[in-house]
Amino acid sequence: MNVREEIIKKNKRRKQLIETAIVIGLVIVFAVILPVVLPGFRLRLLGRILALSIVALGIDLIWGYTGLLSLGHGIFFALGGYALAMHLKLQLPDGQLPEFFTLYGVKELPWFWYPFDSFPVTIIALIVIPGIAAGLLGYLVFRNRIKGVYFSIITQAALLVFFNFFNGQQKLINGTNGLKTDTETIFGILASSDSAQKTFYIITVIAVVVVYYFCRWLTSGRFGRLLIAIRDDETRVRFSGYDPTGYKVLVFAISGAIAGIAGALYTVQTGIITPKFMEVPFSIEMVIWVAVGGRATLIGAIIGTLLVRLAQTFLSESFPEVWLFFQGALFLIVVTVLPNGIVGWWRDFAWNKLSYVLGLRKRITTYASLEENPEVRQEREELEMRDR
Amino acid sequence: MSKILEIKNLTVSFDGFKALNDLNFSMESGELRVIIGPNGAGKTTFLDVITGKVQPTKGRVLFKGKNIKKNPEYKIARMGIGRKFQTPRVYLNLTVTENLDLVCNHNKNVFSTLFSRPKSGEIITVAGLLETIGLEAKANAQAALLSHGEKQRLEIGMLVAQSPDLLLVDEPAAGLTDEETENVGALLLSLAESHSIIAIEHDMEFVRQIANNKVTVLHQGSVLCEGTMDEVQNDPRVIEVYLGKAPSITQQQMNMLRIAASMAWADGNFEPEQIDVILSRLSREFATNVEHQDSLQKELQNYLAKNIPLEDLVPKLKSFGEKERVLKLSYEIISSNEINDREAVVYQKLLQLLDLPTEMVEQVEAEIDAQYK
Repeated sequence: MNVREEIIKKNKRRKQLIETAIVIGLVIVFAVILPVVLPGFRLRLLGRILALSIVALGIDLIWGYTGLLSLGHGIFFALGGYALAMHLKLQLPDGQLPEFFTLYGVKELPWFWYPFDSFPVTIIALIVIPGIAAGLLGYLVFRNRIKGVYFSIITQAALLVFFNFFNGQQKLINGTNGLKTDTETIFGILASSDSAQKTFYIITVIAVVVVYYFCRWLTSGRFGRLLIAIRDDETRVRFSGYDPTGYKVLVFAISGAIAGIAGALYTVQTGIITPKFMEVPFSIEMVIWVAVGGRATLIGAIIGTLLVRLAQTFLSESFPEVWLFFQGALFLIVVTVLPNGIVGWWRDFAWNKLSYVLGLRKRITTYASLEENPEVRQEREELEMRDR
Repeated sequence: MSKILEIKNLTVSFDGFKALNDLNFSMESGELRVIIGPNGAGKTTFLDVITGKVQPTKGRVLFKGKNIKKNPEYKIARMGIGRKFQTPRVYLNLTVTENLDLVCNHNKNVFSTLFSRPKSGEIITVAGLLETIGLEAKANAQAALLSHGEKQRLEIGMLVAQSPDLLLVDEPAAGLTDEETENVGALLLSLAESHSIIAIEHDMEFVRQIANNKVTVLHQGSVLCEGTMDEVQNDPRVIEVYLGKAPSITQQQMNMLRIAASMAWADGNFEPEQIDVILSRLSREFATNVEHQDSLQKELQNYLAKNIPLEDLVPKLKSFGEKERVLKLSYEIISSNEINDREAVVYQKLLQLLDLPTEMVEQVEAEIDAQYK
């Protein structure tokens, strides 16, 4: 038994090493090589896509692991974006108001703008405010044991409420027109300048890695297994002495906070935030990225976002009309042919095939796969031990 | 020993339908109690109330002397009640070890689950449980890959991991092969050494295997009877409830039978001689050929269970002839063994209700007395 455990541990360590190497390699490619190779506007585009992959990670937590399909992540995404945009808007000489206020005859800065004058407060706010908003919404929904489709509908309804509210509040946050960040400065540098954009890009790459590892930590231990348990059978969880409400609220809040980070990074690399970020199709698209990449895999969320968004960019550049059809087709293919997404397909099917072809593993031809049956293996091991 | 579970006057109604009706139940700690009952008897609702899934409309559920009303499921589970569902409910996407480990966790708060690592005691418990349920070889296999019987065993293991004082097991043998059923039965028996268990079951073979103590029969939301397996199986009420066929005799005939049965129940003790008398007399009266009489005897036996007050039954007798036959039969029943005081009281009541001429009563009594001497 001990020999076996040691082998398992060794394998685990080797796997971890390989993984760390891959991550470091990717970070070098994205953070060092690509900024040199790509022209500025391409880099900005890639940065935006990477920012979106962060929100996909958040959706993977709540949908992939916990089984709660949120169609309202646009809310948290936009809240994060607005928080940072408000800070940029306030980079003015003392006593001056952001320009748009004068259009509506507002003389005094609305009270909730004041905290965003400070950069550290803004950074905390763009994580905490979406987190609290998600936690509150989650608490109200989960406390009443609402789940499944009803949860999805409620999140979408909440999205519409926020969308309409932000659209109508010209005097508070410039309504439909949104807040433009490109013309503003951050630490005295124009936000749309190449150097600022490159910095945003690097921060985004770091944020992807940090959020990814944070999600990995969250989902690897007991907590993560409990999320899967809630997805598989919530009643059983309850009868085992756990209160699922707290877990679901926490995960939803974390997922919202992650969306906030993504929204802020996306906003500064887009140059503007408007209530359009809270339109229904955008939030649904986020779900599609995760579905394409593979639910409950984390890395799949990133791969899915990159793939769908890059495909969108290239296709819509060459065939602007086709993109929407392609997106629909992609979703249909994933649902019907790859229910576990690309990563799921690779893990369950392609990897096995490949390892047979490369001769890494013996092909199993019989049913009940005698060679791989754990009971047969255990018996064999015991016999070998006795022989020794 | 103290009572681990006590249920008093429990009623649960769903929109007026009473799933449980004034149910009383109690059980000592350390007992293995089997609950049987036909479909719709309220067995699952009974478990739902104990585990907090359904709130009682009326009545109290005391667990170790504490009222558990209005506690959510997870709190009741933490108090020490574990429940196994009818179909195995395990976390299919987790491995066997992970399934057990989750339940084993001593502190089930959100943040301690997030930040603390499994304690060594818990790891040892999981290893021990794997051995108990015989799934060591498949410890790292996904639960989805287990067979039905293995899932049942895993779920029972998860229950034990919760270290509850009271285990509720809902039809553990459903859908298992004979061999698996025996395994599960043996597992339950070994668990019964250290836990109190309530098992709900349909499979009579299985009940016989595990019921070493008392069996409770539920019917229409209340307890029909309680006793050892043998007592329960021979109780005519239980037989009636389980067979529940439409009677082949007429209403009038049934009425006579009911009166006879009530007379026999008068002293609270239905003697075999009394059953013989009722069955032989009535079958001869209701049927002409011998074969039919035999089959009728078997059927009638199932109807003897009910003890309905005479006041409800006697007014339904129409003709003079019927009343006379009832009188004859009743006197014969109580004479079949020594007439005791209680029987005499009920008999006097019957006479009053029948309201027959005194000479006739005396004549009938004399006839039968002569017959028994």
